Amino acid sequence: MKTRTALVLGAIGLLLVWTPVAAHHSFTAEFDADKPVKMTGAVTKFEWTNPHAWIYLDIKDETGNVANWGFELAAASGLMRSGWTRFSIKPGDVVTIEGTRAKNGSNNANAQTVTLASNGRKLFAGANTQGQP
Amino acid sequence: MKRSCTVVVSAAIVAALSASLSAQWDLRPKPGVPKGADGKPNLSAPAPRTADGKPDLSGIWMRTNRTEAPGSQPAGRPPLAQFGDIGVGFKEGLPYRPLALDLIKKRAGALDNPDALCLPQGPLEYHLDPQPREVIQLPGKIVIVYESNYGIRTIYTDGRALPKQGEPQPYWHGYSVGRWDGDTLVVTSNNFRGALTNLPGDGWLDGKGDPFTDALTLTERFRRVNFGQLQIDVTIDDPKAYTRPFTVRVEQEIVADGSEMIEFICHENQQFLKLTGRQ
Repeated sequence: MKTRTALVLGAIGLLLVWTPVAAHHSFTAEFDADKPVKMTGAVTKFEWTNPHAWIYLDIKDETGNVANWGFELAAASGLMRSGWTRFSIKPGDVVTIEGTRAKNGSNNANAQTVTLASNGRKLFAGANTQGQP
Repeated sequence: MKRSCTVVVSAAIVAALSASLSAQWDLRPKPGVPKGADGKPNLSAPAPRTADGKPDLSGIWMRTNRTEAPGSQPAGRPPLAQFGDIGVGFKEGLPYRPLALDLIKKRAGALDNPDALCLPQGPLEYHLDPQPREVIQLPGKIVIVYESNYGIRTIYTDGRALPKQGEPQPYWHGYSVGRWDGDTLVVTSNNFRGALTNLPGDGWLDGKGDPFTDALTLTERFRRVNFGQLQIDVTIDDPKAYTRPFTVRVEQEIVADGSEMIEFICHENQQFLKLTGRQ
């Protein structure tokens, strides 16, 4: 039964990946589409805010040093329409985020998908429809 | 085959969304939503009307995500506009004057897009934003509340004329009056601030930075095709920025599942200036 529930949740998660929630702001001004990132770490903070929600992760590099990174998501209002709640992520959760890095070289990126390590659930986090900058 | 797959996937997404939405807040379907035999909203039912017999445009509306290749629209129909580029449907591009081309060049990178700065969006950005807008049709005026950046716009339908340009002052949203042409609401607006203020965020029609100036007269023809669909044909007549008027179409669809507008306080956690090195 538990497995079945997980499968159903997984399926819904995958569907949510395709849900159009366009980014509110000029992501092209902030992030470099040619610098994709895929990072895994523990959540230190989840800001359920507008105009964008933010997830902060502690990321360990190959030498063992830990740095805190910020990831910008779509607007909280848009995320809510695509199935997120302010409780979807909590400090301590381990997640993998795919997105693109900040143009200014800081430890920031946008988040296009967020995958929870605990159950593999993949949440859609941003979008770029209709040429949204 | 492709179409049926799309339908199945779309239906699944809607089902998933409905489930997730209902888990978060009470859905409150408005009374009067026409239902089909299956009990679901019948979006192709006739448009509702107000007591005076005019089509009632009231409701929460989302833009559609439909796009089309440039120049592929049926003859005589304006091309579809997109949030990022309202002129995307014109094969030959928009009829820019040098002033407009110069402004677009200066706007490369979209650093001063009013949307990004949490300022009021341009009139077409508001129509095309992925966040919804609520139309409230009242006797003598229509109010549109835009969830994105919390824009509020009033369209006076009490028969008044447009003020002279500059009186009482230019506004971010311009000054709008509406009249009915049969079942089409024709809204004319002037008194826009426009790009010539040289202030960040002023005079953007879209995310790319197609400009408008204080010379803009905007004409919007709103037609509620049926219960579920709203078409808005928008004519940009701005002789300072464009060599001739041009018209684009916006398509919106009703929100009939009972979900509502969500609070959106744009300056709550604004990081745009920091990330673009200006703060």
